[in-house]
Amino acid sequence: MKQKLSRSLFLIPALALLSIFVVYPVVNTIYLSFLSPEGEFVFLSNYADILTRREIVNPRGFARGFAFGALPHNLLWTLIHLPLTVFLGLVLAVILRHVKGKVIIKSVIFLGMVTPMIIAGVLLRFIFDGRAGIVPAVFSIFGVAPRTLTAHPDTALIALILGSVWIWTGFSMVLYSAGLGTIPKELNEAAQIDGATPQRIFFKITIPMLKPITTVVVTMTLLWNLRIFDIVYAATMGGPGGATNVLALQMFFYAFRHLEFNSAAVVATVLMFLAMVAATPMIRSAWRESQ
Amino acid sequence: MKRLLMLTLLLVLVSGVALFAAEEESLVIAVPWAGAELEAFLPVLRAFTDETGIEVTAITLRAEDLAVFLPAQFAAGITVADVIFMWGWFIEEKARAGHVLPITGVIDPADFLIGALDPMTIDDQLYGIAYTGKVKPGFWYRRSFFEEHGLAEPATWEEFVALLEEIAQIPGIVAPIASGNGVGWPLSDIAEHFLIAFGGPELHKALIAGEIAWTDPIVEAIFADRLVPLLEAGHFGEPTEWTMAKALWWGNDYGLFNMGSWLTGMVEDPEDLGVFALPGTEGIVFGIDYAFIPAYTQRPAAAKELINFLATRGQVIQVGEGGHLATYIQVPLEAYPPVDAMVAGLLVDMVALPDLDDTIGGAFQLAFWDQLKFLWVAPEMLPEVLEILEEKAQ
Repeated sequence: MKQKLSRSLFLIPALALLSIFVVYPVVNTIYLSFLSPEGEFVFLSNYADILTRREIVNPRGFARGFAFGALPHNLLWTLIHLPLTVFLGLVLAVILRHVKGKVIIKSVIFLGMVTPMIIAGVLLRFIFDGRAGIVPAVFSIFGVAPRTLTAHPDTALIALILGSVWIWTGFSMVLYSAGLGTIPKELNEAAQIDGATPQRIFFKITIPMLKPITTVVVTMTLLWNLRIFDIVYAATMGGPGGATNVLALQMFFYAFRHLEFNSAAVVATVLMFLAMVAATPMIRSAWRESQ
Repeated sequence: MKRLLMLTLLLVLVSGVALFAAEEESLVIAVPWAGAELEAFLPVLRAFTDETGIEVTAITLRAEDLAVFLPAQFAAGITVADVIFMWGWFIEEKARAGHVLPITGVIDPADFLIGALDPMTIDDQLYGIAYTGKVKPGFWYRRSFFEEHGLAEPATWEEFVALLEEIAQIPGIVAPIASGNGVGWPLSDIAEHFLIAFGGPELHKALIAGEIAWTDPIVEAIFADRLVPLLEAGHFGEPTEWTMAKALWWGNDYGLFNMGSWLTGMVEDPEDLGVFALPGTEGIVFGIDYAFIPAYTQRPAAAKELINFLATRGQVIQVGEGGHLATYIQVPLEAYPPVDAMVAGLLVDMVALPDLDDTIGGAFQLAFWDQLKFLWVAPEMLPEVLEILEEKAQ
């Protein structure tokens, strides 16, 4: 009993901090999302208003192929960015396992990850610039007329997504590299003795053994995709014509440019619930391990 | 031992009084300038300190950054600085909410350009000052470039279009006009220039006041008949980060560059600069830097002294540093460097107008910048662009 009590006492500082800096802001934000700017309780009507706005979901964008709205942009970002970074990270980790100078190569790939995202956004602006950028210069070798990819609504979003793949792949590569080091050599050796091909070993041993790592990589990438902000802010400010707008950026605009704090609270709450859904596999995995 | 204790106590007391006194005699001012622009502002603060003995520390905070945290600070009853430079619309909004110290009587409004203090005046109370400003006169060109290719300033719209076609034929030219980009404001300056030139100053004022719709046929015609054909003909270059666009224009990759008068302080040889407005233009945007005292300053008396100095004697010093035009009418023309005197001369016979998007602010300003970036690369989307602008202007 005494031991339990002392344990609980040690929890108090952490709980207090969490309550002040996490629980209270979250509850207050959710509460704010149910209020009108005049402070009246309007329940879900803010959600109905915000989630049907052109900047959040733009049905016209689907017809012409760009500026779908912040919510579809986040989903699109996830659909393209997630599989690419997971796949590239895994492939690079496997390939670089037995390469000389792998530490240097991995460090170079990981550089994108340690670059501040706001700087990465500025870099992307120049990388895709029609006059100074390396990407249009490479395209021009194949006869594509150089143009600033981030200035055109039909290419701006895909340019930023692919640019962010470069930034984030280092993360999944490092995690998979660490994961590969934890697979017991005996398993591979036993499989080889039994006559298994390298492909079979990869798919039947390596991939299943890396499942906990994949859960972490997928979850962290999902969360990163949902909170993407600084790259877009620095590279395009969500433009042109809202073609690269994302939820976190729109939340920022609502709060600090439009000074519509209730609208910002709605987007923040939606983002929080999406993040909770995204984090569920990792939480379940951690729970199973603890059991 | 006792003596030592007494001495220590005395020291603590003296340093406490010194600290208190120092705090009493020092102010913090938040300015939007950095680098060379800040260096040009510091002589103003030094002159104020020499005159009053009050030290002033300048911190660089862009309006975009201030807009993020000032609302929270004001809600908590604190402020980052005693005097703050900020957007006019923001000051007005915060003044209405009681976060701005009234300064009625601190300066005499009759000493300022007509209309300059309008955005700072609410119900006959003054809430901020009009510091210096910059004009957006139209299209800059290099005299040497025009001389080399036998080009001349246009006197009619037809001559303007012919000039663009002539420039487009010059070898090495990417496009006749450089399009500065960034967050989008350089393009908004071009659009405003077209609206003033072909709709007159009254249309500009009506758009600011919300008295005319962006989808109105008059507005639509200016875009559809004047700006869009030039965009479709490729007379405007692809939007490029504006400082890079400036360098490319100065390197003769482009013939013309639409930019504010601060350009005079950004080129190697200001004497080589020439500028013209679209033929028939009767108004000119005069973007004024506004400053205010937050209601939460701990030193209101000293802050009022500073704001009075900035609005009056400070402007004389500031214009002498170059790149600024005074709103204080007592500033003599001799106070300006020659190139700025030329720019100041552009205001003669022109109606000085407030910057459209800076005055409306809020959601409209962002939409205006973003939609123009969109229009520049997709001119065929004009109806949708105007529809969105009208929606955000409501």
